Amino acid sequence: MYKILQVNNLRISFRTIGGKLQAVRDVSFHLNKGETLAIVGESGSGKSVTCKGILGILAGNAIIEGGEMLYDGQDLLKIEEEDFHKLRGDKIAMIFQDPLSSLNPIMRIGKQLTEAMLLKGKARQASSKRNFDEKTALLEKYMLESDPMNADESKRMMNDYKQMIMKFINRERSYAKARDAVSGAREEIEDLLFYIEKNALKKPKEQLKELRRLVHDAKDVFVISDKENHLITLADSLAEGLGNQERAKDFTPLKEKLLQLRQGVADIINKPVPDLLPMAYYSYRNNDRELTGTVEENNIKYIDYYESEFARKFLEKVEKALDYSDKKHVQLRENAIQALRGGVETIQNGGVEAFKPVAAGIYEKVDASIEPIMVIKDSAAWTFSGAIKGFLKMYDDGLKNNEKRVNAFQRKQEKHDRLIAQGKDPGWKVIPPAVVDMDRVRADIQQQMVNLADKYQAMNIQEPHENKHQKAVQLLAYLNENAAGIVNKVTQYAAKAKAIKLMEEVGIPEPRQRYRQYPFEFSGGMRQRIVIAIALAADPDILICDEPTTALDVTIQAQILELINKLKKERNLSIIFITHDLGVVANMADRIAVMYAGKIVEQGTAQEVFYEPAHPYTWALLSSMPDLDTKEKLEAIPGTPPNMIYPPKGDAFADRNRYAMEIDFEMEPPMFDLSPTHSAATWLLHPDAPKANPPAVVVERIRKMKARAEVNSHE
Amino acid sequence: MSNQHAPELLRVENLCQYFKSTKAVDDISFNIKKGEVFGLVGESGCGKTTTGRSIIRLYDITSGSIYFKGKRIAAGSKSYKDAISGARREMKSAMTQRKEELKAFIKAKQDEIRKARYDHENADKLHADLLIREVEERYKPLLEKASGEELARLQKKYEYDRGVAKNQRFTTQIQMIFQDPIASLNPRMTVYETIAEGLVIRGEKDKAVIDEKVFRVLEMVGLVREHASRYPHEFSGGQRQRIGVARAVVMEPELIIADEPVSALDVSIQAQVINLMNDLRHSLGLTILFIAHDLSVVKYFSDRIGVMYYGKLVELADSDELFKNPLHPYTQSLLSAIPLPDPLYEKDRVRIKYNPLISHDYSVNQPTFQEVYPGHFVYCNDEELARFRAEEKV
Repeated sequence: MYKILQVNNLRISFRTIGGKLQAVRDVSFHLNKGETLAIVGESGSGKSVTCKGILGILAGNAIIEGGEMLYDGQDLLKIEEEDFHKLRGDKIAMIFQDPLSSLNPIMRIGKQLTEAMLLKGKARQASSKRNFDEKTALLEKYMLESDPMNADESKRMMNDYKQMIMKFINRERSYAKARDAVSGAREEIEDLLFYIEKNALKKPKEQLKELRRLVHDAKDVFVISDKENHLITLADSLAEGLGNQERAKDFTPLKEKLLQLRQGVADIINKPVPDLLPMAYYSYRNNDRELTGTVEENNIKYIDYYESEFARKFLEKVEKALDYSDKKHVQLRENAIQALRGGVETIQNGGVEAFKPVAAGIYEKVDASIEPIMVIKDSAAWTFSGAIKGFLKMYDDGLKNNEKRVNAFQRKQEKHDRLIAQGKDPGWKVIPPAVVDMDRVRADIQQQMVNLADKYQAMNIQEPHENKHQKAVQLLAYLNENAAGIVNKVTQYAAKAKAIKLMEEVGIPEPRQRYRQYPFEFSGGMRQRIVIAIALAADPDILICDEPTTALDVTIQAQILELINKLKKERNLSIIFITHDLGVVANMADRIAVMYAGKIVEQGTAQEVFYEPAHPYTWALLSSMPDLDTKEKLEAIPGTPPNMIYPPKGDAFADRNRYAMEIDFEMEPPMFDLSPTHSAATWLLHPDAPKANPPAVVVERIRKMKARAEVNSHE
Repeated sequence: MSNQHAPELLRVENLCQYFKSTKAVDDISFNIKKGEVFGLVGESGCGKTTTGRSIIRLYDITSGSIYFKGKRIAAGSKSYKDAISGARREMKSAMTQRKEELKAFIKAKQDEIRKARYDHENADKLHADLLIREVEERYKPLLEKASGEELARLQKKYEYDRGVAKNQRFTTQIQMIFQDPIASLNPRMTVYETIAEGLVIRGEKDKAVIDEKVFRVLEMVGLVREHASRYPHEFSGGQRQRIGVARAVVMEPELIIADEPVSALDVSIQAQVINLMNDLRHSLGLTILFIAHDLSVVKYFSDRIGVMYYGKLVELADSDELFKNPLHPYTQSLLSAIPLPDPLYEKDRVRIKYNPLISHDYSVNQPTFQEVYPGHFVYCNDEELARFRAEEKV
């Protein structure tokens, strides 16, 4: 599990008539691959703004004041709109709160689902090809360099590998399609039998047609082979005499046929699965010939052949190549570290002006030190030069304009004061100037360099001694994925098939019919499912859910949450889940970040935040919600959140906080660590602070929850 | 909290509300006792909001009757019409004697239709007449006795009171709080105008009285006098919902229909509004019909709860009883879907799925709304009823 997304010291403000509204103030968090991070907080706490920042869809009056968002070797805050097109919807997708307003009312659902697929398909194919070619070329180069004695062999194996993968992916695709069709057919049969049993068969003709189509789709050498051809004949004959049966209200003949078909389908599903990769290799090496015999026997033979002829050796070669690349880059990193340390010294002694001339040299060294063959892009190095360039630009801007802005502000302020003194109402407010903090810029540049140098030092000590096996496997998986992208051409037909599959996956009954309908023909829950399906259409890495169930009722909410959890497991998605419903959070989250007034006030795993909450705001949230046992008066949080145009001095929550101490009104509390994963920003955790206990309601509730958990674990 | 013997405030009998062929509410009956909170839950589109709106007469109901304080305030005629056309069909092939019976039956039903129409149209007028008579009776002896200047003053006061009485409507004693505090307030009216509007429509002309009432209500809901001259956009969500509450409370209603009053609010604000409504309920002795889909809130707030599914009331019981012992499979499914703020519990929670086709077999025995044990009603057929009772004994 690695950090797929990392947000550091993010600060976002909005320019409004009233002044600069500080929506997000110094927020840092990360998202691990395959986990759900829930962001909890009330409206205006900055949770949605943070997520919109990740997607690059902030409103026009937003100012990104600082920080970084690292994803796949890019800093999302600094990349161009053009580059964002490749990420948005493709790698990072979002589910919005209101399903009605996020669907186009005059476009059929089907079109909305396939639109993105068709648009993205071509771009994706091109980028997959580029990725595959680039990485294989590099791999080949390193292989040759690491082992120059066996250059010919390496070349041959690389070629074999490419050919085999293409063959394998084609085969895999048709096999998966047929398997899916068979399991679809099984569902359909069960459905039909159920309704016949209940005497409530509604549209037998359509359903039989669908079943027939599914069985035909399952025609594949390994699923329905020539031997099982009778199943297809059986499926074709299902509709025979249907009219008579309908008139007589007696479906016995149909039922018998269905039972036969069910048996046949069950046999197919229990059939052993062929091992497609080794098989692809065998057939490639043997002029498309394949072994005859049972699947089990063949599997063993294929694997043996593949392992002895190719796999073992190839993996060894990849490992060697990676090792070579590592060794080579240790020296380059060492150079970069020296350059960085030098840069730090320069900026400390001579300030930014002295640093400017040496910057270009540092970029060059850092860029050279990046290992291009690594699959997971080490963000700090990839974004280094961009970030520094950004800071320098900011510095120049400050040099040029700071004074002007301050002067303009003073003029306006004087005018304003003058009018007030004359007893007139000016009718406008003075907007504070956006002044670049020069010291902060300098400190930020320095920090970037120190961070990267430290990181490289650690890597240089660690990496050369690592076992390269895992990395090699990872690299090969990456190559397979991209090869699949090349073979996968998105046609209108394929897009429709995928859309219907997605609709089924998100639990929409009769997708073929629904495909042609308009959004208004769907109920609220169904609409939200469509929105989820659209978000998933492009197989994103990260899914951002912005209160996806707030507008829905409990049963539908439960279905949608189950669906998101299921998809997360199946596709290894990383999810950011925004909500204010703590019940939903408990259901979904692996980790939780509680936000208040633009800051993260508590962060930890779900169990830590719910069972050992440490921040008074978390306590207040927990105690203000009634649960099923609540009888006493609710402990409402008094007052309203502060106006973030004038953020309060000290802790923003102090005004509404029963536990506030004097220091809370003076100084902002830092994050105190409670455990490696759990931290909270409250002075109550300071060693000198008086001991404060959560409200009685919360203590009681936690006690009950723990008791219940104990009972369950004994059962 | 609820008093078993409290007088009945509202009775809904066989209420049906059809929109063309859509049966939004289909034959539901329940009553609300004075001083209690009656919760109505169910998924969106199940007819709970329609029920609330029918009670406050935003719709003309299709069939059934609604009684408020013993008087019929709304009535529909479809069930009678159906009965009449059924009888007419039968008449074509009936024997002579049976024909006479049917004729009498049709006549009786036609009378009922007439009565229903009369009640439906005149509920407010009858109430106003009653009040006018009261005023007349109160002033008659006074006017006879008085003379000169005193008489003129009394005459003026009498006319004013009579005017107020004439404008009284029976149904203003039922008030509604809406779900969305932004959409339900007119952005071009100040808070004062919004709250006072109902009083003005009711015929209140005395500025001092209106002022006094508006300011008292504002303070009651936790706002201050200064807020009265502001516009809705100057308030936060929770404060806007307070204005909505104030607008309902100023009419001194007996019954408040709260249609998802906290669903659109933030957690921390939700608790404030719930506490406010709870306080008002105790201090003013209000009766509340609470419509919501957040079951934890409904459980916390209500004395009795009715569960609706596709226009039918499927279960009705005391709130503790309902949560402890849900009988109808839909209620069980609904309760199993509530997420609780407890991660360990949530990991193992299994949702019960409800499919009417699997859960019930109504092909032979049709279901009706029956009392399984005292105070606990379920929509079921006799077979299921027997099963529920047997389970209880075990």
